[in-house]
Amino acid sequence: MSAIAEPPSSIHAPVPDSAVGQIASRAMIDASTRLPVLLFFGAALFWLLAGSLFGFVASWKLHSPLFLADWSWLTFGRIRSAHLNAMAYGWASQAAIGVGIWLMARLCRAPLKSAPVLMIATGLWNLGVAIGISGILAGDSQSIEWLEFPAYATPLLFLAYGLIAIWAVIMFASRQVGHVYVSQWYLLAAFFWFPWLYGTANILIQGIGVNGVALGAVNWWFGHNVLGLWFTPIGLAAAYYFIPKVIGRPVHSYYLSALGFWSLALFYSWNGMHHLIGGPFPVWLVTASIVASIMMTIPVVTTAINHHMTMRGHFHMLGLSPTLRFVVFGAMSYTVVSLQGVSMAFRSWNKLTHFTHYTVAHAHLGLYAFFTMIMFGSMYYIVPRLTQCEWRSPRLIKLHFWLSAYGIIAMFGVLSIAGLAQGAWLNDPQIEFIKTVQVTIPYLMARSLSGVALTGAHFIFAIHFGLMLLRLGRTGPEPTYFENKRHDGGAVEGGQ
Amino acid sequence: MSAIYLLILGSMVLLGATAVLGLFWAARNGQFRDMKRGARVIFDEEEPVGMPTDVVFKKREPRRRKAAAHP
Ligand code: HEM
Ligand code: HEM
Repeated sequence: MSAIAEPPSSIHAPVPDSAVGQIASRAMIDASTRLPVLLFFGAALFWLLAGSLFGFVASWKLHSPLFLADWSWLTFGRIRSAHLNAMAYGWASQAAIGVGIWLMARLCRAPLKSAPVLMIATGLWNLGVAIGISGILAGDSQSIEWLEFPAYATPLLFLAYGLIAIWAVIMFASRQVGHVYVSQWYLLAAFFWFPWLYGTANILIQGIGVNGVALGAVNWWFGHNVLGLWFTPIGLAAAYYFIPKVIGRPVHSYYLSALGFWSLALFYSWNGMHHLIGGPFPVWLVTASIVASIMMTIPVVTTAINHHMTMRGHFHMLGLSPTLRFVVFGAMSYTVVSLQGVSMAFRSWNKLTHFTHYTVAHAHLGLYAFFTMIMFGSMYYIVPRLTQCEWRSPRLIKLHFWLSAYGIIAMFGVLSIAGLAQGAWLNDPQIEFIKTVQVTIPYLMARSLSGVALTGAHFIFAIHFGLMLLRLGRTGPEPTYFENKRHDGGAVEGGQ
Repeated sequence: MSAIYLLILGSMVLLGATAVLGLFWAARNGQFRDMKRGARVIFDEEEPVGMPTDVVFKKREPRRRKAAAHP
């Protein structure tokens, strides 16, 4: 961005290139994260598009089973798992890593260290996901939910993850501020625990070869913790940073935020067995998980109150900031999905909802309405600060938001109703099984429609992101937030 | 079989233990001493409290505009 890079006048103290003893400027820190973060974001968006198409095919097959039925690679069992894994490991995890890297550098107040480590990790990670998805489509799936990737793909992911965890430690050690902000706790927890979970689960399953009941335990100990100790902390870290930062007001109660983090850290890893309610599984273990699920109301409610009180009096800003819109939508969904999850952990309710579309509705409420929306919001904030130009079209952002918001609300709504009808009939021995399938078909068609909206939103976002990479963003005369920064020359310094 | 249960439970307990360790470190390190200041570390002179940092959408123009369009 040399065009706007006026040589800093003498008032501006030169930014020290080795920030020893002095805190580097925010713009310089942002710029230092540019390459790895944009790489992760770009790769994440690629998988988001691929995963959307997989999801759409899977969705269509549920009401029109003959669709693409004569190619084994695209049969439901494979394409569904390809969708789950493309979304979880391709999209959500890489968006999480990108946002995590950027937040980590900002909160450490230190320029990014060891960028090559991160680039190698991006390469390994994407190679792992590509091999894993191809393996699933070719029929090599392990048939263990959330761990479907064949054994020849997982070491790549683990290695990539290990590198990122090591990087996080190096980065944390180089921090220039003494206080560890609440978001940073969440990030450290996520970066540190996930490789542990992933490694342990894969060693137990592939190395030791556990089976039977123990396999179920390992499967859902991992499956739940991926959600609770990987996606959730990163989503919350972003919410705890962006909401106060965008509206310019500190978190309402920092005390509550600490309580929220530590109670999540202590309770979540005991939640996993609530996925096996009613299964052939030691009852006491399931009960322990149900108790832990109920305990989860503590972090969830504290977080909800805190975000709401921070936002109070500032809700009008939802009209001004894309980041805030997406992130607040996500934070509200976090409360809803978690309280719904608590209700689903009760045996009486789970009996109705288990094995139905109701669970899939909950899954998308969590991974989409909560997590994905927060990632979108974070990316809207981060990308302009890396590419040094502004989003081309506020209108496209709005279109993205409304397609995503209405799409996911519709998907959640129709799947929940379908699930309840299906569950009620499944529990009634008088009703033929085929009826429980037929009753869902209109709802599944509606879900496919909502999938069109979501897929459209993703393409819009990807194109917009592509324009930013090509530096085709706006640099117009309107004094938006970025212009303000240029006036004091701060934003320009970092461009390398 | 039971050896494997121990392994799984052990891993769960260990994970909780790292959380407890972190909590102790944080307490001894004085992380909980000044909550008010802690919440403010994301602000500084460049982006102080009270300064919104993401104003992309324009405020909607008041109706006047429309009226002006009608001659
Ligand atoms: C583009 C819109 C999307 C469509 C049309 C779609 C569709 C589907 C379909 C048809 C299934 C299979 C459900 C079944 O087995 O009965 C599914 C499952 C799943 N999807 Fe999506 N999906 C979309 C977006 C996403 C996104 C963005 C994520 C995550 C970030 C996601 C995560 C998942 C997960 C985790 C499952 C497994 C759910 C479970 O087993 O309960 N989906 N999706
Ligand atoms: C902390 C509160 C939460 C509780 C107590 C909870 C509880 C549950 C329960 C009991 C199930 C199993 C339903 C069944 O199979 O019958 C489930 C499934 C699921 N939950 Fe949650 N949930 C919570 C939060 C979340 C969040 C925040 C997310 C997303 C980030 C999420 C994503 C999912 C997904 C994807 C599944 C489907 C797993 C599968 O079958 O593939 N949940 N949840």
